[in-house]
Amino acid sequence: MSERVGGNTDSRQLIIGVGEIAYGQHPRILVTQALGSCVGLTLWDPMTLLGGMAHVMLPTAADSALQGHPERFASTAVPLLVERLNQRGAPKRRLLAKVAGGAAMFGNDSGLETIGQRNTAEVKAQLERLGVPIRGEDTGGSHARTIELHLDTGILLVRSYVYGLREI
Amino acid sequence: MRIDSLSEMQLDALRETASIGAGHAATALSQLVGHAVTIDVPKLEVIGFGDVPELFGRPETLVVATFMRLLGDIGGSMLLVAPRAASLALVDLMRARPVGTSKSFGADEEALITHVSSILVSAYAAAISRLADVSLLPARPAFALDMAAALLEAVASEAELKADHAVLLRTRFHSDETAVDAYLFFLPDPTGLEVLLGRLGVA
Repeated sequence: MSERVGGNTDSRQLIIGVGEIAYGQHPRILVTQALGSCVGLTLWDPMTLLGGMAHVMLPTAADSALQGHPERFASTAVPLLVERLNQRGAPKRRLLAKVAGGAAMFGNDSGLETIGQRNTAEVKAQLERLGVPIRGEDTGGSHARTIELHLDTGILLVRSYVYGLREI
Repeated sequence: MRIDSLSEMQLDALRETASIGAGHAATALSQLVGHAVTIDVPKLEVIGFGDVPELFGRPETLVVATFMRLLGDIGGSMLLVAPRAASLALVDLMRARPVGTSKSFGADEEALITHVSSILVSAYAAAISRLADVSLLPARPAFALDMAAALLEAVASEAELKADHAVLLRTRFHSDETAVDAYLFFLPDPTGLEVLLGRLGVA
């Protein structure tokens, strides 16, 4: 987890890097930048205004030459984030999920397409397995996304060069 | 073979190959655009995927990237990346116009950058094929203009299926009037890298 300040960054923002997970409570704003084939997963508890975010890179550890770092893989990051929020007082039964990213950044290359799709599918499969409902999704396409989770409303802001600002 | 454990001799062999490839690419580009273009590779280094997004400053920096898969005896990919402004300057360099003439990316600019990338990567592939006596074919180039970290991550994610480092060739295009810097990433499969270095006599 890394916190960056300065520039035009809002001091309430917590920036989550590639392959990291993090959690926070209102008035924190959870942010992850430049999702390509990676998937950003957010979880939010409307009761405590606690939430969490993961920036997963690959579907499972079996897909990687690098060992360790369960936060980097959808199959392990999703249950980990749910468990950590549970420990902090946001039980699984109240969590609402939103999912963004999973693009094919080079639209006309056939091979790279599958990673974004597989990341999205694995995140959704894990959420289904854990019984966490998905309340918003902006995935696929061939454009990059930066996402911001606002913990007072649970609104997820999705920014891209192609579509500007979207609320999900 | 781990790419981050290459010896100085192995890196020198790659530098030599790159220099021959860059020379051939420059000749081809000069023919294409009808004026003299030269290409230098001032630096060749091995870089971890984790350090790659930092090369372009902020993760959301707009960059132009062309991705080409490598097929044949050495699998992997090559990616040519430059910030948006440098890519527009490269368009102007190729068109022999003052830098600053091209202001936005349309279909013509996209086609020109894709063409330049394709020639550069093909020349490298040809140099590797010849020096290492292997079959190496670049597949069709794919173009993208978007956030630097997202593009690099997409390529790194796929390459990480097999490796966690890339060879970075800092590539400088020159004409009489101007010079433009771009980054070429070579992401060979570990087995392909072993074959390449073996054939170059530095395994």
